[in-house]
Amino acid sequence: MAGDDNAFGELIEDYIAECLPLAEQVGDAFVQLERRWREGDGGDDLLAQLKGRLHTVKGNSAMMGLAPMQTVAHALEDLCAVLDAERALGGDEVGSLLVRGSGLLIDLIRTAAKAPKPKPAEQFVKRVRIFLDRTRSKRTTSKRPGLLLERRRSERGTAEPATEAGDSSSSVVRVDFRRLDVMLEVLGESLIEQAAVAEQYRMLVRKLGPTNELVDLDRGLVALQKTMKRLEGILMETRLLPIAGVFGRFPRLVRELAEAKQKQVHVVTTGGEIPLDKAVLDRISEPLVHLLTNAVVHGIESPEERARAGKPAEGTVSLRASSESGRVVLRLSDDGRGLDDSRILAKAESLGLEVQSSDTEQVRSLIFLPGFSTAEQVSSLAGRGLGLDVVANAVHELGGTIAMESRPGQGVTFTLSLPVTLAILRSLIVEVDHERYAVPISHVAATVRTEPDTVHQVNQKGVALWRGNLIHVSDGGALLGTGAAANTSRRFYVVISMGSRTRGILVDRLIGHQDIVVKSLDPAVGRPEVISGTTILGDGRVACILDAGRILDQRMSA
Amino acid sequence: MSAAPGPRGADSLLRFADELQRLSVAGEAPAPGPELHLVTFALDKEEFGIPIAQVREVIRVGEITRVPQARQHVRGVTNLRGRILAVVEIRTRMGLSVAELTPSSRVIVVGVHDRTLGILVDGVSQVVKLPAKTVAPAPEEVLSSSVDYITGVARWNSRLIILLDLEKVLLLRD
Repeated sequence: MAGDDNAFGELIEDYIAECLPLAEQVGDAFVQLERRWREGDGGDDLLAQLKGRLHTVKGNSAMMGLAPMQTVAHALEDLCAVLDAERALGGDEVGSLLVRGSGLLIDLIRTAAKAPKPKPAEQFVKRVRIFLDRTRSKRTTSKRPGLLLERRRSERGTAEPATEAGDSSSSVVRVDFRRLDVMLEVLGESLIEQAAVAEQYRMLVRKLGPTNELVDLDRGLVALQKTMKRLEGILMETRLLPIAGVFGRFPRLVRELAEAKQKQVHVVTTGGEIPLDKAVLDRISEPLVHLLTNAVVHGIESPEERARAGKPAEGTVSLRASSESGRVVLRLSDDGRGLDDSRILAKAESLGLEVQSSDTEQVRSLIFLPGFSTAEQVSSLAGRGLGLDVVANAVHELGGTIAMESRPGQGVTFTLSLPVTLAILRSLIVEVDHERYAVPISHVAATVRTEPDTVHQVNQKGVALWRGNLIHVSDGGALLGTGAAANTSRRFYVVISMGSRTRGILVDRLIGHQDIVVKSLDPAVGRPEVISGTTILGDGRVACILDAGRILDQRMSA
Repeated sequence: MSAAPGPRGADSLLRFADELQRLSVAGEAPAPGPELHLVTFALDKEEFGIPIAQVREVIRVGEITRVPQARQHVRGVTNLRGRILAVVEIRTRMGLSVAELTPSSRVIVVGVHDRTLGILVDGVSQVVKLPAKTVAPAPEEVLSSSVDYITGVARWNSRLIILLDLEKVLLLRD
């Protein structure tokens, strides 16, 4: 019996994997269709695609004995067929029905592993029947579409599965993503072992000098390194998925939210083809939903308020993805009311925070602070700040950064910069008081050798002139709490930077560049602010990874 | 019932070994009754015991990396065959001084509620099996609200073994 259950579980997993994206595409297309109708376009091409997808979902659901999904897909298919025959029916009423139905279908499929409740599906199907009956009188007089409908459906019954099957080329293999995770883990171990061999090699050279054998060994090691690098690249590519997979559900989500709040909001997404590691995609989806919800609920004004401000009644939320110097940058903007700096400032003062009102960037970074964002007063006053610390934490955990820009009356833009992949991080290894740390290369702007008098003390804080600007240089030992006495005679400082923020960190030695395999930190250790994770170095020792983004964000002083 | 392969097989082997041992000693020590199966370790001069069911393995102390801003009583992290293991400084947790590493120092890898942690001890004495009736509650005077992790004291073969509640001593309920 248990065996059967497992087999069924796997089938369900396959079912969800196949049908959920289809249903999401359907939901997305309905929202588009509705839009096109408003613009006076019939959306014929969309309807044709939709029917094929719904048909596949219906067929798969029937095969799995999932009646609610089957009937909902069937009802949606009927609606599409009627629309196909009678374009004039397209409008707000049927649009709302379609969007609601696809939402229901998506929810049902997503939770298919638990026995689905039949009630909502029944209710929806009933509403579709009522709609079809009500509009039938008009239709029968013109073209007898009832008959037409039946015929079309029977034709499609044989034709469409064939085209669907034709889509999946025989050179494509479906692989459980967990297998890719295991492959990555094994690759990570090989990288560590490779680093260990390289370290042994260096020791041998120091001991024996460059003998012929060692020169050969070096050549072999370099070749191995290149091959490993290629393998890493290929595996990373295998894990990439277009970000459109996450964007797909947003139009529907925004539409539902807007309807609930009686607002008109339109979503624009660009850059859906940009690839991201699936692990990053999975973890960025929720924070984006959070920001999007904030934008619709708090950012975009009611149509009346917008009219008074001289804006179009329909607000716009745009989500743009782009590739920028090896990272993926997401910009989420709304054209709503924007944030009021003076109110944030007032709130900060009431919380006893010391803020320089002239530093707008500092003012804005406040909204990501935990105590700040959960304060109810702020969310009602400024209309924002709800749970932004949660979003910021999720982004930081991914090794990303988040920034906010706001223009009162014109809207807010959140900019998220994310690594394309999580697992392997090119890093600079440094040593501070005999402890080794990895600094992600993506945040390293420069390394500078210190001379006497490079770092000055201003108000007991280190300051240095770097590329014409004065930057704060902290002592690595103090920042990381190594316990050693403050040391201003360290030989290097590493300049970390992100956006306009720059900071130096004094270290004793620069060990070198290394691709490190990120291992998350056990929560039992606590939640250090300066560390984002750990890794195993070539000599088998564990090193902590500096959370450069957070060190820059939080203006930690040391 | 067919014996399942894999880890469960190892379990049943252990049970079988236990059974054998029980049968072989039955003649000389006719004291069945409930028993406790413990791993004992030393901190300073005292001996402590934790249930063997919670012990995964005992390892020599490798390089332990300090983690900045770590929680109190966390010594650091170490490499356990490619996995990162957090190591708890159980000595400071129990009000003793920070451990000095000696050749007899060990890390006991324990599993509590799906979590795997290491605890740094001065030395591991042995695995013992003792009758539950040798355990008495610790004198009330030695306990306090902050010392709630001692479940009892066993007097056995002229030894005194302090029994610990791992979940409490590792502060896992937070």
